[in-house]
Amino acid sequence: MTELNLFIQNQGLALLGPQWWPLVWTLVWTLIKIILLITPVMILVSYYTLAERKVIGYMQVRYGPNRAGFWGILQPFADAIKLFCKETLIPQGAKRAVFFLAPALTLVPALLMWAVIPFSPELILADINVGILYVLAISSIGVYGVLMSGWSSNSRFAFLGSMRSAGQMISYEVSLGFTLVPVILLSGSLSLKDIVEAQREVWHVIPLLPMFVIYFISGVAETNRSPFDLPEAEAELVAGYFTDYSGMSFGLFFLGEYANMILISFLGSLLFLGGWMPPIGLLSFIPGIIWLALKAGFLMFVFLWIRATFPRYRYDQLMRLGWKVFLPISLTWVFLTAVGLHLFGKV
Amino acid sequence: MMVVDVIFYAFAAVTALAAIGVVSSRNQVHSVLLLILTFFSTAALFVLLEAEFLAALLVMVYMGAVAVLFLFVVMMLDMELNELKEQAINHLPLGLAVGGVILLEFVVVLSHSHALPAAASSIPNTLAIGRSLYTQHLYPFELASLILLVALVGAVVLTLRERKSGAKRQNISQQIARSRSEAVELVHRKPGEGA
Amino acid sequence: MSVGVKGWVWTFGLRELADGLAVTLRYFFKPNITIQYPEERTPLSPRFRGEHALRRDEKGEERCVACKLCEAVCPAQAIFITIDPSSTAEKRLTQIYDIDQAKCIYCGYCQEACPVDAIILSQNFEFYAETREGLVADKQRLLGNYERRKESIDANLLADARYR
Repeated sequence: MTELNLFIQNQGLALLGPQWWPLVWTLVWTLIKIILLITPVMILVSYYTLAERKVIGYMQVRYGPNRAGFWGILQPFADAIKLFCKETLIPQGAKRAVFFLAPALTLVPALLMWAVIPFSPELILADINVGILYVLAISSIGVYGVLMSGWSSNSRFAFLGSMRSAGQMISYEVSLGFTLVPVILLSGSLSLKDIVEAQREVWHVIPLLPMFVIYFISGVAETNRSPFDLPEAEAELVAGYFTDYSGMSFGLFFLGEYANMILISFLGSLLFLGGWMPPIGLLSFIPGIIWLALKAGFLMFVFLWIRATFPRYRYDQLMRLGWKVFLPISLTWVFLTAVGLHLFGKV
Repeated sequence: MMVVDVIFYAFAAVTALAAIGVVSSRNQVHSVLLLILTFFSTAALFVLLEAEFLAALLVMVYMGAVAVLFLFVVMMLDMELNELKEQAINHLPLGLAVGGVILLEFVVVLSHSHALPAAASSIPNTLAIGRSLYTQHLYPFELASLILLVALVGAVVLTLRERKSGAKRQNISQQIARSRSEAVELVHRKPGEGA
Repeated sequence: MSVGVKGWVWTFGLRELADGLAVTLRYFFKPNITIQYPEERTPLSPRFRGEHALRRDEKGEERCVACKLCEAVCPAQAIFITIDPSSTAEKRLTQIYDIDQAKCIYCGYCQEACPVDAIILSQNFEFYAETREGLVADKQRLLGNYERRKESIDANLLADARYR
């Protein structure tokens, strides 16, 4: 690998000269790293859609898709081909520029957040020291895709759906943010890597179990998933903010939603379930990335499990839960954690 | 390295152009969207200046909350642009005065502080901001949070309406706390006896 | 209306949510009951009302005597019949016998009305057409439907006969 690297370096220097080569090389190398990160994420997203249909199918004593390839293994590709081939319709009176910007603005933040997710102590695209703040900041951008799509579609259903969705997302972001504060307090760092390292002895889920539960439920609401999928409440709003989207622009919303779900799962296992740490020291011969994958996979399963189990919330109940239940509990826990840390002399 | 400079000026140009767009756009929603772009590229400038904490906060607070509320209001309201224009002319002197003051302040501040403290390399800027806020500037900080609290309570008071007397409201905890023994009574009746 | 300590523990322990999750998890591991349709099929009753067919008698002659009872009884007015002009008093035949399968509601009244057991509804439900015209079955197609599944149609009529 280093030989190859050196070879490329020398060839490049000879070709472009010392002025331009480092610039080009930095850009190309960053691009390669981004592609190496995004490709598995997208494959994971596409297979997560299959897993969803399978899991919910089995919970409803059905099989789920099993025709495209063995065990339905080619179903995501069939879906992708179908979406690509479909005509992209633009509703009359839609604001074209905003209309096409919106799906991109939903997917791009969902992928941007992956940049700071550490898969192991070494495997991380951008190890920035405010990783957790970065994730929160980027996740708050996701609201704009929703709002813009609802507004630009020039349709009541889409507009109502986007209003609901945006209200829901910013409300639950508050409690989501506050559940992370005790984690930051216990770890004493904003870097995701340090937070995982701080769980070497005890996973954060043990002292912060209620926070973990609230984090996960808020995460479900944040990603607009059932039972909080009010923005797309079919019975009332057709499909919510993406009612008027078709073909691949619809597909982008879909990809964004699933990428967000997977991200919430990974983040949850990093922040609360010890990331790549094995549950007991004996099992440390298994590589950390497998532990992380197992934990995130479990949380991803819980997403689907919840969807197969619970009926949809009413909107006022949703808001009540977020502001009157989760927010006070998480604020109290922030306070308790700080007091506990002060009393037991960790700070 | 000059690459960083190029990126910096690119973002600075985007910021300036978007800011001009905010005031010149004819569509209010586009104005707000451009405002959001301004926030975002400003955050990018902060990142390039190695102030990641400030950048994250700017995105989280201004993009994630404040601008969303702007967008909500602008999307919901049916504003008459012509009326707004007429009013704008009335407010022109005041606006120019405020703008002038701000410009003056900028000039004064920028011309008197060549020695802007460079980003401290040894300690992370999150830590630096925390230390500064909770030691040096503790009282202003607490005062600011108190003002925010007052504003918060004020907003609650303004929007809190007493329901009309006699209006029924759902009491969810009461509903959930109901048990079978309170809700159902089993009565055995022989046929022909009636209830 | 006191909930007590137990009630609080149940509420904040998300007890009811756990109950619900337990149910779905239990069903997750139960065997699936899906019928894999083209390979597996559910049994059909002899009375099943599928695609129409016109029967012939033992000598291979058309059974239909063009009495038009089916046309009269049809609630969807999906049947259209004309008599062959060469019909005699001994032998009446149809010239046109069309059933619009798009109009048909598969109620089976035509079969009930038929005095000579000519029009029947077979067990075949797997037929299609790519145009609306393609769903109008003429006499040849209806007779052909009978030819193709003669055994099953006759057997089903026999099986159902004692209940009529």
